[in-house]
Amino acid sequence: MTTTESDSTRVGPPPPFDPELAAALEAMPELPTSLTPDLIPSLREGYNSRDATNEELRRGGAFEVSERPVPGPHGDIPVLILKPAAATGLVGAIYYIHGGGMITGTNRGADSTKAYDLAQELGLAVVSVDYRLAPEHPHPVPVDECYAGLVWTVEHADELGIDPERIVIAGASAGGGLAAATTLMARDRGAPALAAQLLFCPMLDDRNESLSARQMAGLGVWDRTSNDTGWTALLGAERGGPDVSPYAAPARESDLSGLPPTYLDVGSAETFRDEVVAYASAIWAAGGNAELHVWPGGFHGFEMLAPESDLSHAAAGPRIPWLRRVLGI
Amino acid sequence: MEDLVGRLSALDPDAGAAIKVIAYFDRLVEGRAGLEPVVRGAAVLTGCAARLVDADRGVAIRVDATGAVHPSDDPPDPAWLSAPLHPGGPPALWLERTGPAGPVEAMVLERALSAARGALARTRGPAPADDVAAVLDAAVAEPARLRAARRLGLGLAARALALEGGRAKVLAADQAVEVARAGVGPVVPVADLPSSWAAARTALRFAAAGTEQDPGPSVVHADQLGGLAVLAEAVGPGAEPVPDVQDLERARSTAPWALATLVAVATTSSLRTAAATLVVHHSTLQDRLAHVEELLGWSVRDPSGRLRLQLAIALRRLHNHH
Repeated sequence: MTTTESDSTRVGPPPPFDPELAAALEAMPELPTSLTPDLIPSLREGYNSRDATNEELRRGGAFEVSERPVPGPHGDIPVLILKPAAATGLVGAIYYIHGGGMITGTNRGADSTKAYDLAQELGLAVVSVDYRLAPEHPHPVPVDECYAGLVWTVEHADELGIDPERIVIAGASAGGGLAAATTLMARDRGAPALAAQLLFCPMLDDRNESLSARQMAGLGVWDRTSNDTGWTALLGAERGGPDVSPYAAPARESDLSGLPPTYLDVGSAETFRDEVVAYASAIWAAGGNAELHVWPGGFHGFEMLAPESDLSHAAAGPRIPWLRRVLGI
Repeated sequence: MEDLVGRLSALDPDAGAAIKVIAYFDRLVEGRAGLEPVVRGAAVLTGCAARLVDADRGVAIRVDATGAVHPSDDPPDPAWLSAPLHPGGPPALWLERTGPAGPVEAMVLERALSAARGALARTRGPAPADDVAAVLDAAVAEPARLRAARRLGLGLAARALALEGGRAKVLAADQAVEVARAGVGPVVPVADLPSSWAAARTALRFAAAGTEQDPGPSVVHADQLGGLAVLAEAVGPGAEPVPDVQDLERARSTAPWALATLVAVATTSSLRTAAATLVVHHSTLQDRLAHVEELLGWSVRDPSGRLRLQLAIALRRLHNHH
């Protein structure tokens, strides 16, 4: 994995954005590439104003929507539950962790759309956790809350109509990092059992030194400066230091054996490219099962920003067959 | 891009949104995006399905508002917003929404078509209409004209045809001329097609519409004009018709049959043939000619009068067709 050696690696020009994505990016200049701490309040405001309503989440009657406070180590955690309205018996579930760079986002944000699409297609429930955000709530609060929500989901599986043998953890961006961390925690503590993990453009490495991080500085979405803002909010002065826990930054884990089947995807033109590729390689090196997709010309979160683009349609394509294979449905 | 549409519609429609539309398609062009992204851009930025149709090149792409490619068997509704690839051409880009077009839609149509033209030329080659224009244009470098001629399958020699409304047609030397009103240029080596086109346009001015007001042959071959072609130069826009032409006009307005009768007499080898062409009895023709000669003030039946008549008819057409 990337270390200080990477600084001496020659960094080529940034890979070009996919033309459609470049066009979409061009037409949305309000989005800051480099996010600094002073922009966090306005960013949160922007995100929260676009939260999905229950009516939207119902998707024309496909889901029954409810919200529950779940007790956690740092207080109650709001959890959003979408159940397939047509379900008769127990259903599998996606335990979803939203993105937002550890500093923003809610469990009603646009990045969750991917989880709803999968759930609707495959007849799964979605349980989505609204963990507390950094910097007000630094590590280990977010990962503790994600883990607590998962434990609660398994313990209440009967009541929720969920088959505890078919729980899949998923997350995007910071949520992808937290999903990977929660999976490590579950592995190390011996429970709960997870059927699979889906890590969409996950934020895995607090060191922020990879070639892709340096190559994409100042470009696209969530560049190296933004990444520093997010990780520093979560870890403070510890960020990049020798003692960061893998439960905060899963790229720090040296042993990736014993993980459930893992799906990873990332864009070729984003900060996270190399850490995601490295994470997949480490899973294979440990004898694990992983499927990795690197979408050429994709910037961070391109599916959320440009859901109609050809690359977004392409990126959605392999997930359903992958989940069918690993869940045996 | 759900967000994008929302933000576009929230912006000042005259300024902000239009600038973003321009930027969007500029980046597609810069990135050498294909046709599908262009059509998708039109669909996504307007929030309705869009389609691009170019029958000449066999292109039919339809993208719905979610960005998915969804072909449709239904023909476009003529009431939908649309714009042609080339001025005067058939509608090529459609937005599946009825008008009137708002500022964003108008800008999307314009910019998407501009991007589509480039992508079409790059990915499908020039449209046949572009190649025809190229082979006839002396300003186009000869190698480019020869390449265009090859794409059109013209062989070594060809001819240009000038049609109504400034339209052009090019035929290989052995192809039959089957057209309505046309000036037909001579068969020339394909590199000389600009000269055939110039001759065809001159010939077209001598071609009659074939109506009661403009009777006569509607297909005229330039290489059969002889010295008449020189006249064409003399009769420009605004030129004053000579008295003989004015007399023809007066005869036509006095008797509806006059002009057709005179044209038949001028273009057939005998009065008997002329009568047969007009489907009137020989004696009827004689009566009519006597009447019309009185109106004109000169005989159309002796050799010099016949030439004078032919010239007057030719001049009248030149005045009518510039």
